[in-house]
Amino acid sequence: MGASRICLEAAICNLNRTGSTRFFSRTHTTAFALRWPIRQAGDAGPRHQARARRHQHEAQRTVMAQVIMEQVARPGAVSLSTIAVNNLTKRFPAPGAESSFTVLDSISLSVDEGEFVSIVGPSGCGKSTLLNIIAGIESYESGSVTVAPRAGKSDSGSRIGYVFQSPRLLNWLTVQDNIQFVLEAQNIPRSRWQELVAKHLDMVGLSGQERNYPLNLSGGMQQRVAIARVLAIEPDILLMDEPFSHLDAITARKMRLDLIDILTKARPTILFVTHDLAEAVFLSDRIYMMNAKPARIFNEVPVDISRPRKPEDSKILDLEKTLVREFFGVLEAKD
Amino acid sequence: MKRTASRWPSLMIIVLGLFVWKTISLFYLPVIFPGPLELIDRIIEIYSDPASFRVVGQSLTRIFEGFLISMLAGTAFGILMGLNRAIEVFFDSWIMVLLTVPSVCWAFLSVLWFGISEAAPILTIVLIVFPFVVMNIWEGTKALEKDLIEMGRAYKANRPLMLRKVLIPQLMPYIFSSLRIALSLSWKIALVAEAFGAGSGVGQELINWFQDTRVDMMLAWSVSFMIVMVLIDLVFRLWARRVFAWRPQFAT
Repeated sequence: MGASRICLEAAICNLNRTGSTRFFSRTHTTAFALRWPIRQAGDAGPRHQARARRHQHEAQRTVMAQVIMEQVARPGAVSLSTIAVNNLTKRFPAPGAESSFTVLDSISLSVDEGEFVSIVGPSGCGKSTLLNIIAGIESYESGSVTVAPRAGKSDSGSRIGYVFQSPRLLNWLTVQDNIQFVLEAQNIPRSRWQELVAKHLDMVGLSGQERNYPLNLSGGMQQRVAIARVLAIEPDILLMDEPFSHLDAITARKMRLDLIDILTKARPTILFVTHDLAEAVFLSDRIYMMNAKPARIFNEVPVDISRPRKPEDSKILDLEKTLVREFFGVLEAKD
Repeated sequence: MKRTASRWPSLMIIVLGLFVWKTISLFYLPVIFPGPLELIDRIIEIYSDPASFRVVGQSLTRIFEGFLISMLAGTAFGILMGLNRAIEVFFDSWIMVLLTVPSVCWAFLSVLWFGISEAAPILTIVLIVFPFVVMNIWEGTKALEKDLIEMGRAYKANRPLMLRKVLIPQLMPYIFSSLRIALSLSWKIALVAEAFGAGSGVGQELINWFQDTRVDMMLAWSVSFMIVMVLIDLVFRLWARRVFAWRPQFAT
């Protein structure tokens, strides 16, 4: 099972030569292959032959991709990770210096469908950069990032939702308009907007606030609007970058409990970044520990505590104690 | 709970000003330095003649045409310069040149190029106000919040949506300040340009009365026109209040 999974992933990495986070670009569907008839090589001049060969190769690649997709869709088949990051390296050109400095050094991780995975690391170690790359808003130097397509559709990428550290609301729009902005950005039909806005504001407990402006809300409420906003697009994948770190401890604790509550209703795949090990243990199914400068993953720990979890549960506190020793051990040893 | 400032001090200063004005005017002929009451008489005289409204209308049309072209083209160009590095580098020096040419120069040049026509005052306005608006809006694009642009990109918003909902609202304070200053510049330039050569309009009236040394008529035309412009500025202020309604109101 392991070997065939590796082969499958390698095959798809080969296809993914542009490093794009889309599983298949639009042109590589069977429809494309069918629209452009393939002339047999040899029945025209050299340029035509070369073009015909290219079309043939693309058609073959498309057929291979279809075969892989069919393998995956078969019941009992090997399943692909929803997010797979392989040996990802990112460098920033350092100002003034000759060489650039490496932000992410050969990061490999994977997240399966429906999993809640946390990445714990000190601030400034490139965790946000990693999320940006997965979301497709930053480029990278080498390695690959694969995000599985939506279930049932092979030619459109997964819906990715991103929650930032700060709410990043558009302060000149009402709460309602803020949510409608992302619905429009994601091409969700207008007829569904009212229902989605109402449902998700209710989910975060802000039912009456549709026509209020963000600057009239508290920090916690603004972050809740940001969460309602991301849930309204009904994402397959949720990327969260330390969403509760700017809030006070009391609000943050309440928000964590609310998040768990909300996630019982809709279960996207979640990649959660934090600097707080306790938070990671309480929320996640698996934890990756990350070092800084350059960022490397040095540990992966499963959290086998059954849900629903209480924040003061002794199992959680025990696990946290063990992990804290290990985590700070590595971090402080480096210094 | 707002504590509204008392209106009395400003009213008293206005009344005091009127008194001072009246006193000074007593020392001069009404045609050289009219008092407030003479001025009001002259204004009524001007506007009892229906032809005056046509004159004012002509000036207003030219002002608005010049103002609109400058604002629309200026805003678009300013945004373009802010978002496109190549365009910014190329046009930087051009805009500086346009800004530093004295307005009188443009007024004369326009008359020489276009003769006595509608185009001359409009062109003068555009040549002076357009670079000013571009500079303002360009500065505004430098202050755009990277966080919000990142957020828009993370949600895969396309260019038109980003412009509409993220970029232009952030430029609104710059657009509004440009708007009010551009309008006040436009009407002053229009009057000067008309005086130099448009054949009609309020500026033409001004130079005619100037040649007859009728200060009272010049002032009558200027003041009445000024009142129109102040009213339009008021409209802009009310509009701004609506556009910026999302800002939290702090108790003064």
